[in-house]
Amino acid sequence: MKESLMDILCDPLDKSELELEVDERDGDEILEGRLIGTVTGEVYPIEDGIPNLLPPDMRD
Amino acid sequence: MTDLAERRGMNTSVYQPAEDSGLLAQAAVGRVSGRVLEVGTGSGWVAERLATKTDADVVASDLNPHACRQAAERAAALRADGHRGFEVVRGSLVEPFRDDAFDAVAFNPPYLPEDLEAARDDWMEVALTGGEDGREIIDPFLDTVGRVLKPGGTVFLLVSSFTGYDEVLARAEANGFGHEVVVQESYPYETLTVLALE
Repeated sequence: MKESLMDILCDPLDKSELELEVDERDGDEILEGRLIGTVTGEVYPIEDGIPNLLPPDMRD
Repeated sequence: MTDLAERRGMNTSVYQPAEDSGLLAQAAVGRVSGRVLEVGTGSGWVAERLATKTDADVVASDLNPHACRQAAERAAALRADGHRGFEVVRGSLVEPFRDDAFDAVAFNPPYLPEDLEAARDDWMEVALTGGEDGREIIDPFLDTVGRVLKPGGTVFLLVSSFTGYDEVLARAEANGFGHEVVVQESYPYETLTVLALE
Protein backbone atom coordinates (compact mmCIF):
# COMPACT_ATOMS: atom_id res chain seq x y z
CA MET A 1 0.00 0.00 0.00
CA LYS A 2 0.99 3.59 -0.54
CA GLU A 3 1.21 5.90 2.46
CA SER A 4 -1.38 8.19 0.84
CA LEU A 5 -3.96 5.47 1.48
CA MET A 6 -3.86 6.56 5.14
CA ASP A 7 -6.00 9.57 4.09
CA ILE A 8 -9.03 7.32 3.52
CA LEU A 9 -8.52 4.39 5.93
CA CYS A 10 -9.99 4.21 9.41
CA ASP A 11 -10.39 1.70 12.22
CA PRO A 12 -13.28 -0.54 11.09
CA LEU A 13 -14.46 -0.88 14.69
CA ASP A 14 -15.17 2.76 15.52
CA LYS A 15 -14.04 4.78 12.44
CA SER A 16 -11.30 6.47 14.45
CA GLU A 17 -7.86 7.23 13.02
CA LEU A 18 -5.10 4.69 12.53
CA GLU A 19 -1.41 4.99 13.22
CA LEU A 20 1.04 3.51 10.70
CA GLU A 21 4.10 1.50 11.69
CA VAL A 22 6.35 0.42 8.80
CA ASP A 23 8.72 -2.55 8.89
CA GLU A 24 9.59 -2.78 5.19
CA ARG A 25 9.25 -0.47 2.17
CA ASP A 26 9.94 -0.81 -1.55
CA GLY A 27 10.08 2.72 -2.95
CA ASP A 28 6.80 4.37 -1.97
CA GLU A 29 5.13 0.98 -1.36
CA ILE A 30 4.74 -0.16 2.25
CA LEU A 31 5.16 -3.94 2.15
CA GLU A 32 5.16 -4.98 5.80
CA GLY A 33 4.00 -3.24 8.94
CA ARG A 34 0.82 -2.57 10.83
CA LEU A 35 -1.99 -0.12 11.39
CA ILE A 36 -2.95 0.52 14.96
CA GLY A 37 -6.26 1.95 16.14
CA THR A 38 -5.52 5.18 17.99
CA VAL A 39 -8.62 4.67 20.15
CA THR A 40 -9.19 0.89 20.17
CA GLY A 41 -5.52 -0.14 20.25
CA GLU A 42 -6.41 -2.90 17.77
CA VAL A 43 -3.52 -4.00 15.53
CA TYR A 44 -4.19 -4.56 11.81
CA PRO A 45 -1.33 -6.22 9.92
CA ILE A 46 0.06 -5.10 6.55
CA GLU A 47 1.35 -8.18 4.71
CA ASP A 48 2.74 -8.28 1.16
CA GLY A 49 1.57 -4.70 0.78
CA ILE A 50 -2.06 -5.48 1.66
CA PRO A 51 -3.53 -3.98 4.85
CA ASN A 52 -5.90 -6.39 6.58
CA LEU A 53 -8.60 -4.19 8.08
CA LEU A 54 -11.02 -6.93 9.00
CA PRO A 55 -12.19 -6.67 12.61
CA PRO A 56 -10.45 -9.31 14.79
CA ASP A 57 -13.57 -11.53 14.95
CA MET A 58 -13.75 -11.74 11.12
CA ARG A 59 -10.15 -12.79 10.51
CA ASP A 60 -9.29 -16.39 9.69
CA MET B 1 -28.59 -25.02 -11.09
CA THR B 2 -25.06 -26.09 -10.26
CA ASP B 3 -24.13 -25.41 -13.88
CA LEU B 4 -24.52 -21.73 -13.02
CA ALA B 5 -21.78 -22.08 -10.42
CA GLU B 6 -19.64 -23.94 -12.94
CA ARG B 7 -20.06 -21.18 -15.47
CA ARG B 8 -18.77 -18.82 -12.81
CA GLY B 9 -15.49 -20.53 -12.12
CA MET B 10 -16.42 -23.06 -9.47
CA ASN B 11 -12.96 -24.59 -9.45
CA THR B 12 -11.17 -21.60 -8.04
CA SER B 13 -11.31 -19.75 -4.75
CA VAL B 14 -11.53 -16.34 -6.43
CA TYR B 15 -14.45 -15.13 -8.58
CA GLN B 16 -13.24 -14.58 -12.13
CA PRO B 17 -14.68 -11.92 -14.45
CA ALA B 18 -18.01 -12.81 -16.07
CA GLU B 19 -20.89 -10.99 -17.81
CA ASP B 20 -21.76 -9.12 -14.62
CA SER B 21 -18.19 -7.82 -14.20
CA GLY B 22 -18.21 -6.57 -17.80
CA LEU B 23 -21.52 -4.74 -17.32
CA LEU B 24 -20.36 -3.09 -14.10
CA ALA B 25 -17.15 -1.87 -15.74
CA GLN B 26 -19.05 -0.70 -18.82
CA ALA B 27 -21.45 1.27 -16.62
CA ALA B 28 -18.81 2.91 -14.42
CA VAL B 29 -16.15 3.75 -17.03
CA GLY B 30 -16.93 7.19 -18.40
CA ARG B 31 -18.98 8.10 -15.32
CA VAL B 32 -16.34 8.10 -12.58
CA SER B 33 -13.54 10.45 -11.64
CA GLY B 34 -11.76 11.46 -8.47
CA ARG B 35 -11.42 8.58 -6.02
CA VAL B 36 -13.31 5.35 -6.61
CA LEU B 37 -13.79 2.25 -4.46
CA GLU B 38 -14.60 -1.16 -5.89
CA VAL B 39 -16.05 -3.35 -3.14
CA GLY B 40 -15.70 -7.13 -3.54
CA THR B 41 -13.14 -6.81 -6.30
CA GLY B 42 -12.44 -10.56 -6.62
CA SER B 43 -9.71 -10.98 -9.24
CA GLY B 44 -9.41 -7.18 -9.55
CA TRP B 45 -10.64 -7.14 -13.14
CA VAL B 46 -13.17 -4.30 -12.75
CA ALA B 47 -10.65 -2.28 -10.71
CA GLU B 48 -8.14 -2.72 -13.56
CA ARG B 49 -10.70 -1.45 -16.10
CA LEU B 50 -11.38 1.60 -13.91
CA ALA B 51 -7.67 2.25 -13.36
CA THR B 52 -6.78 2.01 -17.06
CA LYS B 53 -9.91 3.49 -18.71
CA THR B 54 -10.54 6.45 -16.37
CA ASP B 55 -8.42 9.06 -14.62
CA ALA B 56 -9.77 8.03 -11.21
CA ASP B 57 -7.66 6.91 -8.25
CA VAL B 58 -8.91 3.38 -7.67
CA VAL B 59 -9.07 1.43 -4.43
CA ALA B 60 -10.24 -2.20 -4.45
CA SER B 61 -11.34 -4.21 -1.42
CA ASP B 62 -12.36 -7.78 -0.72
CA LEU B 63 -13.10 -10.00 2.27
CA ASN B 64 -11.29 -12.96 0.69
CA PRO B 65 -7.49 -13.04 1.23
CA HIS B 66 -6.97 -15.01 -2.00
CA ALA B 67 -8.90 -12.37 -3.94
CA CYS B 68 -6.85 -9.60 -2.33
CA ARG B 69 -3.64 -11.32 -3.44
CA GLN B 70 -4.87 -11.84 -7.02
CA ALA B 71 -6.03 -8.23 -7.22
CA ALA B 72 -2.71 -6.96 -5.80
CA GLU B 73 -0.80 -9.05 -8.37
CA ARG B 74 -2.95 -7.54 -11.11
CA ALA B 75 -2.22 -4.04 -9.78
CA ALA B 76 1.52 -4.77 -9.63
CA ALA B 77 1.48 -6.08 -13.22
CA LEU B 78 -0.25 -2.86 -14.34
CA ARG B 79 2.44 -0.74 -12.67
CA ALA B 80 5.17 -2.89 -14.25
CA ASP B 81 3.58 -2.12 -17.66
CA GLY B 82 3.76 1.59 -16.92
CA HIS B 83 0.07 2.05 -16.03
CA ARG B 84 -1.22 3.49 -12.82
CA GLY B 85 -2.20 0.61 -10.62
CA PHE B 86 -4.76 0.52 -7.86
CA GLU B 87 -4.63 -0.02 -4.09
CA VAL B 88 -5.92 -3.20 -2.45
CA VAL B 89 -7.41 -3.38 1.05
CA ARG B 90 -8.77 -6.45 2.84
CA GLY B 91 -11.96 -5.49 4.60
CA SER B 92 -15.70 -5.96 4.99
CA LEU B 93 -17.85 -3.79 2.68
CA VAL B 94 -17.07 -0.11 3.38
CA GLU B 95 -16.16 -0.55 7.07
CA PRO B 96 -12.42 0.34 6.88
CA PHE B 97 -12.95 3.61 4.97
CA ARG B 98 -13.43 7.13 6.26
CA ASP B 99 -16.54 9.25 5.91
CA ASP B 100 -16.82 11.11 2.57
CA ALA B 101 -13.75 9.28 1.18
CA PHE B 102 -15.04 8.42 -2.32
CA ASP B 103 -16.61 10.08 -5.35
CA ALA B 104 -17.97 6.72 -6.46
CA VAL B 105 -18.34 3.17 -5.16
CA ALA B 106 -18.86 0.17 -7.48
CA PHE B 107 -20.09 -3.23 -6.30
CA ASN B 108 -20.88 -6.52 -8.02
CA PRO B 109 -22.21 -8.23 -4.91
CA PRO B 110 -22.67 -11.89 -4.03
CA TYR B 111 -26.31 -12.21 -4.99
CA LEU B 112 -27.43 -15.77 -5.70
CA PRO B 113 -30.11 -16.99 -3.29
CA GLU B 114 -28.80 -19.99 -1.36
CA ASP B 115 -31.01 -22.54 -3.10
CA LEU B 116 -29.43 -21.73 -6.48
CA GLU B 117 -26.06 -22.72 -5.19
CA ALA B 118 -24.93 -26.02 -3.74
CA ALA B 119 -23.74 -25.34 -0.21
CA ARG B 120 -19.98 -25.23 -0.54
CA ASP B 121 -18.67 -23.59 2.58
CA ASP B 122 -15.68 -22.09 0.79
CA TRP B 123 -14.55 -18.73 -0.56
CA MET B 124 -16.40 -19.24 -3.86
CA GLU B 125 -19.68 -19.62 -1.99
CA VAL B 126 -18.90 -16.38 -0.16
CA ALA B 127 -18.30 -14.73 -3.54
CA LEU B 128 -21.55 -15.98 -5.07
CA THR B 129 -24.16 -16.38 -2.39
CA GLY B 130 -26.23 -13.62 -0.87
CA GLY B 131 -27.95 -15.72 1.79
CA GLU B 132 -31.54 -17.00 1.74
CA ASP B 133 -32.98 -14.18 -0.36
CA GLY B 134 -29.80 -13.15 -2.22
CA ARG B 135 -29.73 -9.80 -0.40
CA GLU B 136 -27.82 -10.68 2.77
CA ILE B 137 -24.79 -8.66 1.59
CA ILE B 138 -26.56 -6.07 -0.59
CA ASP B 139 -28.77 -4.84 2.28
CA PRO B 140 -25.96 -3.97 4.72
CA PHE B 141 -24.00 -2.49 1.81
CA LEU B 142 -26.90 -0.15 0.95
CA ASP B 143 -27.34 0.71 4.64
CA THR B 144 -23.68 1.76 5.08
CA VAL B 145 -22.30 2.95 1.73
CA GLY B 146 -23.69 6.48 2.09
CA ARG B 147 -21.24 7.20 4.91
CA VAL B 148 -18.13 6.85 2.69
CA LEU B 149 -19.60 8.70 -0.32
CA LYS B 150 -18.81 12.35 -0.82
CA PRO B 151 -21.85 14.63 -1.21
CA GLY B 152 -23.01 14.16 -4.82
CA GLY B 153 -21.19 10.83 -5.07
CA THR B 154 -22.55 7.83 -6.98
CA VAL B 155 -22.92 4.12 -6.23
CA PHE B 156 -22.81 1.69 -9.18
CA LEU B 157 -24.56 -1.48 -8.07
CA LEU B 158 -25.07 -4.62 -10.14
CA VAL B 159 -28.47 -6.23 -9.54
CA SER B 160 -29.56 -9.62 -10.86
CA SER B 161 -33.16 -10.68 -11.46
CA PHE B 162 -32.37 -13.58 -9.08
CA THR B 163 -31.96 -11.09 -6.27
CA GLY B 164 -35.24 -9.20 -6.38
CA TYR B 165 -34.88 -5.96 -8.28
CA ASP B 166 -37.81 -4.21 -6.59
CA GLU B 167 -36.60 -5.16 -3.13
CA VAL B 168 -33.11 -3.81 -3.83
CA LEU B 169 -34.59 -0.55 -5.15
CA ALA B 170 -36.80 -0.22 -2.07
CA ARG B 171 -33.79 -0.67 0.22
CA ALA B 172 -31.82 1.94 -1.76
CA GLU B 173 -34.74 4.40 -1.53
CA ALA B 174 -35.08 3.74 2.22
CA ASN B 175 -31.45 4.87 2.49
CA GLY B 176 -32.20 8.10 0.63
CA PHE B 177 -30.87 7.13 -2.80
CA GLY B 178 -32.50 8.02 -6.08
CA HIS B 179 -31.72 5.67 -8.96
CA GLU B 180 -31.06 5.54 -12.66
CA VAL B 181 -30.67 2.42 -14.80
CA VAL B 182 -27.30 2.73 -16.53
CA VAL B 183 -27.34 -0.56 -18.42
CA GLN B 184 -29.54 -3.64 -18.50
CA GLU B 185 -28.91 -6.94 -20.30
CA SER B 186 -30.99 -10.11 -20.45
CA TYR B 187 -29.36 -13.52 -20.56
CA PRO B 188 -31.06 -16.93 -20.85
CA TYR B 189 -30.91 -17.41 -17.10
CA GLU B 190 -31.06 -13.90 -15.60
CA THR B 191 -31.39 -10.19 -16.29
CA LEU B 192 -28.55 -8.02 -15.06
CA THR B 193 -28.94 -4.31 -14.32
CA VAL B 194 -26.41 -1.74 -13.21
CA LEU B 195 -28.04 0.98 -11.14
CA ALA B 196 -26.49 4.38 -10.50
CA LEU B 197 -27.61 5.48 -7.02
CA GLU B 198 -27.23 9.08 -5.93
